[in-house]
Amino acid sequence: MGNNNPPTKHRIRARFGVKVLTVLSVATLALSACGSGAQTPVNAAPTGSSEPVQGGTFVYAEVTPINNWQTQAARFYEKSNVLNSVLDRLTYFDAESGKLVGWIASKFTANKDQTEFTFTIRDGVSFSDGTQLDAAAVKTNLDALGLGVEAAQIAPNVDFSAFKSAEVVGKNQVKVTLKSPDANFLRATSSVTSGLVSPATLKLDNAGQSAISKLVGSGPFVFESEKTDEEVTFAKRTDYKWAPETAENQGAAYLDKLVVKYLPEVSNRAGAVQTGQVDLARGLQPVDEIALKDSGNQVLPAKGIDLTTNMAAVRIGSEKLSDPTVRQALQVGIDRQSIKDTVLSDSYVVAGSVLNHEAPGFVDLSADLAYDPEKSKALLDAAGWTVGADGVREKDGVRLEITVTSSNNSVVIKPAFELIEQQWREIGVKLINRAADNTFLATAMIDPNNELFGTRQFAYGGLGPVFGPANNTQTLNADAELNALFAKERAATTEAAHTKLVEEEQRQLVSEKALSLVLWDEVQVYGGNAGAHVEFTSGTAPIFQGAWKTGK
Amino acid sequence: MAAYIARRIGQALLVIWLAYTLVFLAVQLLPNDPVTIFLSADAAANPETIAAMKAQYGYDQPLLVQYFNQLTGLFRGDFGYSLASGQPVSERIGSVASSTLVLASSAFVAAVALAVLLVASATLVRQSWLKRFIINLPPLFAAVPVFWLGLVLLQLLSIQLGIMSLFPDGSFASIAVPVLVLAIHISAPIAQVLLKSVDNVHAQPFVDVLRAKGASPSWIFFRHTLKNAAAPAMTISGITVGTLLAGSVITETVFARSGLGQVVLQAVTAQDVALVQGMVLLTATAFVLVNLVVDLLYPLLDPRILKSGTHGAPRALVA
Repeated sequence: MGNNNPPTKHRIRARFGVKVLTVLSVATLALSACGSGAQTPVNAAPTGSSEPVQGGTFVYAEVTPINNWQTQAARFYEKSNVLNSVLDRLTYFDAESGKLVGWIASKFTANKDQTEFTFTIRDGVSFSDGTQLDAAAVKTNLDALGLGVEAAQIAPNVDFSAFKSAEVVGKNQVKVTLKSPDANFLRATSSVTSGLVSPATLKLDNAGQSAISKLVGSGPFVFESEKTDEEVTFAKRTDYKWAPETAENQGAAYLDKLVVKYLPEVSNRAGAVQTGQVDLARGLQPVDEIALKDSGNQVLPAKGIDLTTNMAAVRIGSEKLSDPTVRQALQVGIDRQSIKDTVLSDSYVVAGSVLNHEAPGFVDLSADLAYDPEKSKALLDAAGWTVGADGVREKDGVRLEITVTSSNNSVVIKPAFELIEQQWREIGVKLINRAADNTFLATAMIDPNNELFGTRQFAYGGLGPVFGPANNTQTLNADAELNALFAKERAATTEAAHTKLVEEEQRQLVSEKALSLVLWDEVQVYGGNAGAHVEFTSGTAPIFQGAWKTGK
Repeated sequence: MAAYIARRIGQALLVIWLAYTLVFLAVQLLPNDPVTIFLSADAAANPETIAAMKAQYGYDQPLLVQYFNQLTGLFRGDFGYSLASGQPVSERIGSVASSTLVLASSAFVAAVALAVLLVASATLVRQSWLKRFIINLPPLFAAVPVFWLGLVLLQLLSIQLGIMSLFPDGSFASIAVPVLVLAIHISAPIAQVLLKSVDNVHAQPFVDVLRAKGASPSWIFFRHTLKNAAAPAMTISGITVGTLLAGSVITETVFARSGLGQVVLQAVTAQDVALVQGMVLLTATAFVLVNLVVDLLYPLLDPRILKSGTHGAPRALVA
């Protein structure tokens, strides 16, 4: 050491050789790790037997840990997927029949004007703390959902915006009165965000109501223990016997325990399922689907019927997209099939509207959504946006340069927008892709000058609450015509009339006003171990009450 | 000595206060207040609800009032309320701090040990090719991203070989592997600086004297060189506290561990202002404390520092 002689040629070569050796040895380690993905011993393929097996601990991997479990704010999958098995609701949406059926309310009726709803509460239901889930407890819950809990700084449920009051009638009935008609109110009572909690829970402060350890429900699983940010364990409630009317399992869960763990790192999820470290994992990458299937395990796409499709919601604050013609040009400038073929998988379905194909009232607008770059160009020309020197269109010195923001919760949204960026370049539109950049999202989400918001939203209360209010996070704008339509839809007195108006809303949002550039139907792709038997709600939540597992 | 310590502690407190104030001001530059940001996760919150919640948490007060309320709150141990996690900030941080402390301190100790081991072997091995190999390791360690190494090790050890869990299950491997991943990254700058500084010390005449007296290379290295070469490496070690926290964010995500890294990530993602402020305060305090300790250790290594007058230690970097 310490010599300052000039390096000879030989020494330089030797030094280089050592460097190469060092790098190679590490690289070999890496390659040996990545190369043999499919060689892991596989579990037995699903037996195909439909006879549920009793007992066992089911390990479920969610995406990111959460700390705030407050019911009304369960608009995130991390929460709703778990709370679905902890909290019961008044009603249940049966995806198979497309109908709302009874749950804690054995019967529910609406008056003709859709302003008064009467729920008949099932007998013999109790919360896990022993309190009865009776009409009085339901009223307390409905008040909290409709009016919020001021003492605990809990905001009202957004789908209950028309709520006026709730009162106990007779022995076991609750009557809800609304300020204005809402044909979607019943459906909103099926949402996890309308989960019923023990009246004692509603008396806690904000921190108390946010803690999973203190949230008392009447659901099939009860909190047992937690390790902050790492896992939450639930035990089955052995006396559970009030499942939704259409549930196959009407009794207690088959599983003894449910353990929720977290895998924030996306590339570990398929491996966790493959090695049997978890029974089920949410948020599988499309690239992992084939390997997982080939290893004898399951790829389980759960359709998000309760949500809007995945979309780029349009904001007109920057004025660049204030002309509907420009938005229509963007709509037909997206090659949805190529997005599916390139960055998605067979688990995904190209959108045909702003509602998913199985959603009640879905109208097929795929003809209006067909990829047609020539039409896009013509529409943009007609709107006065001319192609500038660098290929990007301009009008009055303003470049047609728009920005998209989205959260990183969806594993596919960023590559999808990368592809759209390429597709729009062809029609002279420059997309600045800030999708999956969460630090940008928090401010961009509420900035009307940020033109596009990549998202999908729970739409239990219909499309009105999603796109209507002035501060709705999709368009950040109250469109008077749309709001008139939403009000009319909510006030519809027959199912046929309601469906017609829901169809008209979709036409307006997708084709006429093109405020929602729709992409693909909402789906959550789960990886399931070969021995896992699990189905999902219309909100993509795993139904652990009916789940069971074979093997070990 | 007392004056030296007092001066260093005073400076440390000043730095913490400045860091807190800067973050308070930076947060005001956000286009929205914490309540509006929190409620925007909902489809469309009622403006009255927003106003009521702002009043509840004091975000409707004038800036100066907010600042002093928050500052006096700190002395009472009230670090504010984290809206996104539905918990007081102190509880949110306190519930997972020990996990990061274990990870980071183990990684730090392992990194220092690894650095000393690398430098000792680079200095003492006789085969020149091996020496070159070892000398080339620290730059490689610095270049290999933490998340990549973590993913490769998990893929190999957990998914291919099945000898460790993807989750922190309390086993030895589930703590040792993340510690190693983080330690490798942290050891790189320490080893690089130590290596350079060992070279410098070896060039000094007293080493020639020791050699002439017949001392063995390892005797010289461990008894004389290391102590003389330690100061710059200690400075770098103090600064790695920041890297440690940044590294924990990644390590904790990859290894599904709870910890402050995850809290920072969640706080920034949700723009949970109170939690961000709490984390900055904690990080600044940790950074300042460690560097204070380093400063206070200096005179033990080199008593000349105390004699160098009122102008403080000859350190290039103060936190």
